[in-house]
Amino acid sequence: MSFKDVLSPFTAWKHLFHDPVSIRNPIGRAAAPRYRGFHQNDIEKCIGCGTCETICQNGAIDMVPVEGIQTKQGDSGLRPRIDYGRCCWCALCVDVCMTKSLNMSNIYTWVESDGDAFRFIPGVDKKPWDDAAHGYRRPDDHQLTGPTRLREHMPEMEPEERIGSFAEIVHGYNVEAAKLEADRCVSCGLCVATCPTHMAIPQYIKAIRDGDYDLGVALLYETNPFSSICGRVCTRKCESTCAARHEGDAIAIRWLKRHIMDQVSDEQIKKVVGQPAAPTGRKVAIVGAGPAGLTAAFDLAKKGHQVVVYEALDKPGGMTRFGIPEYRLPYDVIDRDVDVIRSVGVDIRCNVRIGQDITLERLKSDFDAVLIALGLQDGRGTRIPGSDQPMVRKAVDLLRRVTAGEDIGTPRQAVVIGGGNVAMDIARTLARLQKKQYGEVKVILTALEDLPHFLADADEIKESGEEGIIILDSRGPQQVVIENGQVTGLKTWKVKAIFDEQGRFAPTYDETDEQFHPGTMVVEAIGQMADTSLLGDALTEQLAWQRGRLQVDAGGRTSEAWLWSAGDMVRGPDVVSAVADGHRVAASIHAAITQGVQQ
Amino acid sequence: MRELYARLKALYPLGELTEQRKNLAFVTVPAAHLRDTLLHLRDKEGFTHLVLLTAVDWLEEGQFQLTYLLNNRALACDLGLRVLIQRDTATMESIHDLWPTAATYQRELREMFGIDFPGSPRIEEEFILEGWNSIPPYRRDFDTLKYAQEAYAERPGRVTHDPETHMRLQMYPGQHPAGK
Repeated sequence: MSFKDVLSPFTAWKHLFHDPVSIRNPIGRAAAPRYRGFHQNDIEKCIGCGTCETICQNGAIDMVPVEGIQTKQGDSGLRPRIDYGRCCWCALCVDVCMTKSLNMSNIYTWVESDGDAFRFIPGVDKKPWDDAAHGYRRPDDHQLTGPTRLREHMPEMEPEERIGSFAEIVHGYNVEAAKLEADRCVSCGLCVATCPTHMAIPQYIKAIRDGDYDLGVALLYETNPFSSICGRVCTRKCESTCAARHEGDAIAIRWLKRHIMDQVSDEQIKKVVGQPAAPTGRKVAIVGAGPAGLTAAFDLAKKGHQVVVYEALDKPGGMTRFGIPEYRLPYDVIDRDVDVIRSVGVDIRCNVRIGQDITLERLKSDFDAVLIALGLQDGRGTRIPGSDQPMVRKAVDLLRRVTAGEDIGTPRQAVVIGGGNVAMDIARTLARLQKKQYGEVKVILTALEDLPHFLADADEIKESGEEGIIILDSRGPQQVVIENGQVTGLKTWKVKAIFDEQGRFAPTYDETDEQFHPGTMVVEAIGQMADTSLLGDALTEQLAWQRGRLQVDAGGRTSEAWLWSAGDMVRGPDVVSAVADGHRVAASIHAAITQGVQQ
Repeated sequence: MRELYARLKALYPLGELTEQRKNLAFVTVPAAHLRDTLLHLRDKEGFTHLVLLTAVDWLEEGQFQLTYLLNNRALACDLGLRVLIQRDTATMESIHDLWPTAATYQRELREMFGIDFPGSPRIEEEFILEGWNSIPPYRRDFDTLKYAQEAYAERPGRVTHDPETHMRLQMYPGQHPAGK
């Protein structure tokens, strides 16, 4: 040991009176701006989709209800609660947040002696870092689902090509494209509550990812025997609450449903759907072979009841066949869904008009229960001056006659009143007929609403425009102009407001802004109503009504114990809502007619 | 970098050169030629510093990719040598005799990826994972969530809710539950 070795411990003493190099208190030192610290969650933006919980590799996140946050369409009402005993600050939860509501502040120090305090709901349980300006945010170009749906794989006919015929416009996805689109789904399930019939949407999308189409069909048929039809024309409310729409386009749920049905053969579908239960000996009569009537028929037949469906027209399908044009919904697609419904034993008798061919009384005595699902087959009129002329038509009448193959006397120039899907349907149907007959499209469509508030699907509006239909918004019909007994056009005023201060329908107009739209036919497409004349005077009197509609209970039962009612005539026009109603009513009928059996 | 690549290519069977930046490039070399290439770079081309040694798990291809990143101080540029080895055997020749620091990297790779470097000092000893009892955690078939759930106890009082089920119970209780 040298002298230096002995002395060296003491040389450190020379630093005794120097300023320390180390930091006395590291707590309180600001972290880097993008440091990953305690979470921040904008609970107004958060939709409770649970993607953060799913991605968390430490099982640190729970989705919990929060007082004051309501469960509503597109928002589960749940919010993430984080257990910081498990969080490893990796920020995967921030990277996959669909709404960008979840972030991380750069605050990473917090002293608290109670361990449970380190489990809290960011944004709900107030913390000092809630408003911290810095921290980790999801970079703008990091998007889990990709901003756009696969449009390039959903080819459509070009406008010039499609206007010349009634062929289906939209082709389906192929397997590869469907998988890619299915991959965009995060399986949060927020859409299920929005779907009127609560289809197992995340599950059937997963079936596409897994390539298990039999499972897909089984899942579709659990809730919807009109899946080929809904896969094309559903109002797809589900897509309006899809979590992916916070990043860009919603998942193409409707096209994916269609894809499953397109992939599986008729025989295989019937095999998956299976055979009905053993006969119960109970009989149910259903009037109207539309979505509500046939869905109820399908459910009841599967339970072993004998079901007879009476249809006044020559083919089943109701409004899906006689209301929706062929270019949106080809007739063989309807036949396909109906055929599966028949395969479980449903007896559909067309060209039988109840009230004329068979009385309702007869059905009442021959069957254990009767369901009327008549639909809304009569068009409403505007009742403006001149609207009683023969060349002023109702859209639903014209659509029905076109489907039946009748000549409707296609006008060279037509004016359509209405801004809903039916208005688009008749305008585009007339355009096709004009193109065929005269080689040019001359259709003007006028609606009370301004364009952003049209009731029609955005695709319909866009495609109508592409097909040469002139759409005039905020125009109120005032008079059908008649010259020498012939319709020559429609006079409209500019709409100032549609509703009054109480929100009631009471349009007001700017009379100085008057326009004349030439046309030899004016078509009213402003809504439909039910023709309930088959009930007869005595029964109509006997039944309870509510604002013009049959009064029914939650199960669709009328005030007469033997009679149920379902579909558009009860719920308003919508295919998938009619399907949902068909299920509800079938359950109610089943419970009622098996009551005695079970006892 | 291109000139260097041309010179090396004349000596060793190299793969394509990937130029990340002007002063950073990567090249693949067969495992059998790694030592020679490293020695040549260190002693003849001025790449005297081993910046790092790391790995990538190409699970689907059944391979591990080792990356030996070297630095030339004079030229201020980095060259990465990539070596692909079989995932099932997961063994590679040690280079601790070329750079002593390599022993530490190799010990880490052994622990995190399960790649063995026979003869490397203290290779058998635990590095940072004390008492690890599962497959090496950086292997891609390691299920992090499953391990976390099994290895770490839940704090009492935790409960979670599935959004779809919660919405059904809140908004349409009793109606035909779809799918589930």
